[in-house]
Amino acid sequence: MITKTAAKLQYSHTVGFMSLQGGRGFANPVDLAFDSDGIMYVPSRGGTDAFDDYVSKRVTKCTVDEEYLGEFSYGGTEDGQIMWPSSIALDSDGRAYVSDEALNRISVWDKDGEYLGKWGKRGSGEGEFDRPSGIMFDSDGVLLVSDSLNHRVQRYTAEGEFVSQWGSAGDGDGEFNMPWGLASDADGNVYVADWRNDRIQKFSASGEFLRAWGGSDAEDGAFNRPSGLAVDSDGVMYVADWGNERVQVLTQEGERLASLRGESGLSKWAHEYFTTNLDELAEREKANMEPEPEYPPGDRLRQESAMVEKLFWAPTTVKVDAAGRVFVVDTARARVQVFEWVGG
Amino acid sequence: MSEKDLALMAHLMRRAGFGATREEVEERAAKGYEATVEELLHPESQPPALEDEDLLRRYHVDGGNLMAIQSCQTYWIYRMINTRRPLEEKLALFYHSIFATGYTKLNHPKAILNQIEMFRRLGLGSFHRILVEISRDPAMIFWLDNKDNHKGAVNENYGRELLELFSMGVGNYTEDDVRQASHAFTGWTIADATLHQARTDRDSIWPYGRLDWHFQYRGDDHDDDEKEFLGNRGTFNGEDIIDIICEHPATGRFVGRHLYNFFVADEPQVPAWNTTPPRDPEAVETLARAFNESGFDMRTVMRTLLNSDFFKEAAFAKIKSPTEFVVGTAKLAGGYSFPQLDDLRLADETSNMGQILLDPPSVEGWHTGVEWVNTGSLVSRMNFAAGEFADYNRPGVQSMIRRIRESGAYASPESLVDECLGLLGHVRVSEQTRGDLVAHAEAAGVLCFEAPEDAQASSEAISQLLQVIAATTEYQLA
Repeated sequence: MITKTAAKLQYSHTVGFMSLQGGRGFANPVDLAFDSDGIMYVPSRGGTDAFDDYVSKRVTKCTVDEEYLGEFSYGGTEDGQIMWPSSIALDSDGRAYVSDEALNRISVWDKDGEYLGKWGKRGSGEGEFDRPSGIMFDSDGVLLVSDSLNHRVQRYTAEGEFVSQWGSAGDGDGEFNMPWGLASDADGNVYVADWRNDRIQKFSASGEFLRAWGGSDAEDGAFNRPSGLAVDSDGVMYVADWGNERVQVLTQEGERLASLRGESGLSKWAHEYFTTNLDELAEREKANMEPEPEYPPGDRLRQESAMVEKLFWAPTTVKVDAAGRVFVVDTARARVQVFEWVGG
Repeated sequence: MSEKDLALMAHLMRRAGFGATREEVEERAAKGYEATVEELLHPESQPPALEDEDLLRRYHVDGGNLMAIQSCQTYWIYRMINTRRPLEEKLALFYHSIFATGYTKLNHPKAILNQIEMFRRLGLGSFHRILVEISRDPAMIFWLDNKDNHKGAVNENYGRELLELFSMGVGNYTEDDVRQASHAFTGWTIADATLHQARTDRDSIWPYGRLDWHFQYRGDDHDDDEKEFLGNRGTFNGEDIIDIICEHPATGRFVGRHLYNFFVADEPQVPAWNTTPPRDPEAVETLARAFNESGFDMRTVMRTLLNSDFFKEAAFAKIKSPTEFVVGTAKLAGGYSFPQLDDLRLADETSNMGQILLDPPSVEGWHTGVEWVNTGSLVSRMNFAAGEFADYNRPGVQSMIRRIRESGAYASPESLVDECLGLLGHVRVSEQTRGDLVAHAEAAGVLCFEAPEDAQASSEAISQLLQVIAATTEYQLA
C-alpha cells in the first residue's frame, strides 16, 4: 500500500486529441465517467454553439489506452441531443445520464447509446433546474445534481423522481454560490465544488454540512473557482482548481500532498496524426515547446496555459479509477492527463 | 436636467461607448457632461470591465481556449455590451479598424483578441507606445509578414503599411522611406515562426488546440547598417523609426482624421485622403495640435475631441457600424447580462450586416459611412432590431414600457412617439418620419394599462412602435 504523504504523483500518459468532427478525440471535454469495465465516457461541450459545429458535441467512448469505441448524441435541442452537456454519471446497469445546462434537463442513454428519456425543465421547483451541472450516483443509486443557478443540490431516483434537496444561495455553511462538480468518498459523504465561493464543502450522504476547505487566492489549499474533484479510497481529495489552472491534492486535514500544473506529452491519437503530418512534427521538434516569454499584464496562469502545450488549461474535473490512477479532464486542450502514485 | 442635456449625453454615450439606456443617460447627465467625459477617459478608476469573465468561460466553454472565431467574437460582443468602461472598449474597436488584422490569414483568432486586449490596455496612453507594441504584436507580425522580413531579404509589407495606413498616410514619404523603415524592422519576429506558419497553413488545431504566439527580437537577423529615413540618418532600429514618425506633422493630422472619422462624422475612405480634404479641416487640425503638444497622448486628444463643439454638434452625422448597431440595440433591449445559449447570434448579426469582427476584409479595415449600407445589410439591420424589440418581456423593453406607463406618455400618439424616440437614445427624426410614426401609433388605438389584457395589448403596441422606429433611416445613424 502506498503512503501518499511519502509518494509522488507521476504523469503517466494522455488520452485525447482535438476533434471537432466527431470520431477519435474530444472538443472541450467537460467530464469523465468509467463503466464497470473501465471504459471511459467523455462528454464534449463542442467547438462553438454554431449549428455547423453541433457534431463536435457528443459523448465519446474509449479505453484508457485510446481505443476508440464510438460515440452517441450530438448537438441540438431535440430529444436525445445535447447543447451544453456538463456532467455524466453511469448507473449500475451502465445507463449514461448527462446533465445539460442549456436545456435544463437530464437525458439518459443505455449502454449501447440508445436514447431512453429525459426529465427536467427550467425553474426552481422540485424536478426543475436552472443550469444543472455536476451529477453523481451515490452508493444507494440516488442521482445527485448540483443545480447551479438555484444554488442547491437535488436528489433523484434513477427514474427521475425527485427525492430531496439541500442548499440555498449564500456563503455560509451548507450554502452555495453556483455549485458545480460533485464527488463522494468511501463512506458515502458528498463533496461539492462550491465554485463561486472558492471552496469545497463536505456533507453527509443526507446533506448535513460537515466541513469546508478553501479561500479565494492562489495559495496552497485556497482555490480560484474550483470546478470538480475526486476523493480516493484514502480520503485524499483531487481538486480541479479551474481558475488557477492546476489540480491540488489535499488530505482531509487540508494538507497539500501535491499541486499539478500539467505534464502532457503526445497521446496515441496525437502520434497517429503526426505519422501523416511529418513536416509539422519536424517543426515541433525544432521548436521550443516550453517558452518563457515576457508576458503582458493579465492572468499569467491562463497566458502560460495558452502558450505551453503540456500545461492544464481550464482543468474541469478529476476522476480516480479502480486502480487508483488519477485522470484530469483538461478541457481547453481536449484531452485527459493521467497520473499515478509512485514510491511511498 | 433638460432634454437638450439628455440628448447630448445620449450622443456622447453612443460615440464614446455603445449607447446607453435612458436610466444610464439620466444618471450620467446628472453627473454632468465634462465629469462623464473624465470618467470615460479614466477607465482605470472604474470597476473591472467585465467582473463576470469567469461566468463567460464557465458557460461558454469554447470561450476557454478561444479556438474558433465565433467564440472570440461572442466574447468581445458580450464585453462590449456589459463593460463598465465603455470608452476603453470603443477605442479597442477604433484601433481594430485602423490596425486591421484578420483571422482569414492567421487562422488564430485568439491572437487577434490578444491584440485587442493590448488596445484596451494602451488605448488611452501614448500613440508612440501603441505603435511600438503593434510592431511587436504577434498577430500583426504574422498578418503583415514581418516574420519574413530578414536582414538581407527584406519584406516591405509592414514598413509600408506602418507609414501608409497606421501613421502618416500616402504623400508624406517616399518609396525609399518605406524600404528604410522595413530594414529597421528586420529581426522583429515571433518565436518559432516556421512551426506557427506550418500550423497556420493547414489550420492545424492538432493535437491539442492552438498555441499562443509571442514576440521575439532576433539581433542576428536585424540590419544594423546606417539608414536614411524622412531626412534623418542613423543606424535606426524599429523604435527609432517610430520616434521619427510620431514627430512628423503628418502623423498628428492622420491620427486626428482617423479619430474624426470614427468618433465625429463620416469621412471618405482612407485611400482618398491624400486627394480629398477633410470635411472639417479645422477640427482635424485641433486634434493634431493636441496630439503633438501632449507628446502623442491619446487621452489628451480624446479629451479635446469629446469636449469640442464640433463633436457636440455632430449628433447623427455618422452611420452606425454593424457592431455599433447590434451592440447598441442589444443594450437597449436588454437580456444580455448573463451568458446564454444564443449569445453567438449577435456575432452572426454583425457579420450579416457586413462587419465580421476580427476578420476585416483587408489591411485597410472596413469601408465605413454609406458603404455600410446596401439593400441586404439594411434588411439584416431591420430584422435584427425588430427581433430585439419584439419580445416585450426583455428587461430593456419592459423598462421602456414601464416608463411610458408611469409618465403617462401613452395618452396621445404624439407624446408616445416622442417618448419612444427619447428612450431609444433621443433619436432625431424628420417631420415626415415623425408623422409616419404618429400615424402608426394612432392606428394602434388608445393604449390602456388598467386590465391585464389591455396592458398586454398596449405593451405589444409599444413593442411594435419601437420596431418601426428601429427600421427608420434615422435609427441607422449614430
